[in-house]
Amino acid sequence: MSQEIDVALVHVTKKFGDLIAVNDVSFEIPKGSFFSILGPSGSGKTTLLRMIAGFEKPTSGDIYIGGQRVNDVPPNKRPCNMVFQRLALFPMMNVLDNVTFGLRRRGGISKAEMERRAKDALARVGLEGLEKRKIHQLSGGQQQRVALARSLVLEPTVLLLDEPLGSLDLKLRQSMKLELKHLQARTGTTFVYITHDQTIALAMSDTVAVINHGRIEQIAPPEELYRQPATHFVASFVGENNKLTNGKVVAFRQGGGVDVEIGGIRMAGRAGENLAVGDRVDLFIRPEMITLRPGRHDDGIVGKVSEINFDGSHSLVIVDLLESDRPLSLNVKVQHTENAPDVKVGEVVTLSWRWDAANAFHPVAQPRTEAEGLP
Amino acid sequence: MKTLARNRGQWVLLTFMLLWIGLLFVLPHLKLFYLSFVSRRGGEFTLANYLYFFHSPLYRKIFVRTAVFSTLVTLLTLVISFPVAFIITKVAGKHLKAMLLLAIILPYWVSELIQAFTWMVFFRETGVLSYLLRAIGLTHHNIEFLYHDSTIAVGLVYTSLLFMTIPIINSLDTLDDSLIEAAYDLGGNFWSTLREIIIPHAAPGMMVGSIMVFMLNLGNYVTVTLLGGKNSLWFTEIIYNQFIIRFNQNKGSAFSVILLTFSVLFVWIVLKITKQDLSEAM
Repeated sequence: MSQEIDVALVHVTKKFGDLIAVNDVSFEIPKGSFFSILGPSGSGKTTLLRMIAGFEKPTSGDIYIGGQRVNDVPPNKRPCNMVFQRLALFPMMNVLDNVTFGLRRRGGISKAEMERRAKDALARVGLEGLEKRKIHQLSGGQQQRVALARSLVLEPTVLLLDEPLGSLDLKLRQSMKLELKHLQARTGTTFVYITHDQTIALAMSDTVAVINHGRIEQIAPPEELYRQPATHFVASFVGENNKLTNGKVVAFRQGGGVDVEIGGIRMAGRAGENLAVGDRVDLFIRPEMITLRPGRHDDGIVGKVSEINFDGSHSLVIVDLLESDRPLSLNVKVQHTENAPDVKVGEVVTLSWRWDAANAFHPVAQPRTEAEGLP
Repeated sequence: MKTLARNRGQWVLLTFMLLWIGLLFVLPHLKLFYLSFVSRRGGEFTLANYLYFFHSPLYRKIFVRTAVFSTLVTLLTLVISFPVAFIITKVAGKHLKAMLLLAIILPYWVSELIQAFTWMVFFRETGVLSYLLRAIGLTHHNIEFLYHDSTIAVGLVYTSLLFMTIPIINSLDTLDDSLIEAAYDLGGNFWSTLREIIIPHAAPGMMVGSIMVFMLNLGNYVTVTLLGGKNSLWFTEIIYNQFIIRFNQNKGSAFSVILLTFSVLFVWIVLKITKQDLSEAM
């Protein structure tokens, strides 16, 4: 299937002096998709977005939007618009003038037509009737919508979003999250969303690119990212994970699995990268993928419940492993379903998981700090 | 008890301030106001001091000239200061910013009098500018640059630059850079961004600066007299002549009241026209 590509980065690198903010990044974003760039602060994701918008020039490499090379195109001539982190609404104008700002710059559009399009855009984000309001008279969520309408009214090829939900409170963020996704589906505009909040990235995106220290770690649909992380960083950054360190590969299984010995216990996992017998590895296991059975069984890892944390739909059970040669514990998420195991603190339980629910990676050196402190 | 003590502290401070304003500002002005309405001999009530002004074409013309000149110099100062303030706040890096600020403030470490003398050394017939022009062969004679309106303008702009630049710097400092970026992102160019985003945001600072500079120009004496000579035809010079040379305190007072009333009215009208609020602007 040949897909139309809206944004393409080819070996893009950005240096600020000696600092490499973005390091040889390449990816393609298909038309009409919701693409997220996920990374911790200082990972270079904002620089990446600002290069697509045109506020920063790549040190090397090329950026294409809609098939056109845009390296030398200034931001006001690019077919993309940005929703800023702090929204950057114009406080000296009312809502309508904010939304028509871009249209007024284009020229050749009658005033009535501009107003019609602006009202249309405001209606799309659910802000009918607020045209004459001043910006400071709006709530945080309403301002968010104005910022969206101001960009969408220009019908950009690509809409860039610089973590605009970050400043909202949790409830509002949840509802705006869904709204954004619906809006994207309705308009068919390509969205590029950068965030450090993985729940947003996982929930909204068609594709997520995880970036760390200026490098792309993995580009995949959310589910793949979650279940089959490509690198040690992705496994530890995306979602909750149990991380058991200092393991050693002892054998291979069929289909890409490995047996890992950690603290004298043999555990199964998926080889996240190329591993050889004898390699030192860290093993990641999702808390919700572990099956917990009361009592001692032969086909699992035996432990003792040391703590139970109730959290509504589930409980987080902390189990200390009994047969390891050093203290190890695993967090287990137990859903509160009808036939959920009923365990108490101090009880002996047996843990087990499908081998492909765990991921083994070579341990990485302590995080480099070269990109830290960057926008 | 605590609030009482704090109240007492407030009253002490307030008393000082009231004394200051009352003794050094209100009282002299009341006296000035009173003197302007009485005759020089006899001391009975009269409007003659004011009528003298309105009947004299020379004084009226000098007054209008002072007002128009001050306004033009204020606008010129604004035009020069705005880019300077913009560069300092939005373009320059940290070090350059400090350097530029220092360069603006440094000349004010010497008094206006010394500044004016410096300009005289620069502009006079045997001065620096004249010498330079001869040195590069543009002229063969010395040229007198002093005692021209343009020389007065240079001096006035120079003495008031700081009072325009600092308020504009203050207001531009609070302009979020992302607003400028957003304007560009939405298709704006330099001029439209300046007109619709930057100037509206900086308007209060520009207003404060303009009011201060206008008042300073209108009431300037030293720079105007030194650079413009006897024929600078500035209204403050007329007031000075009445008080010091003619020893006519009553006419001098009347002229002072006219100048004060005009400047207050002018500022009020400009604020009304530009729909600015003084308290907001400050």
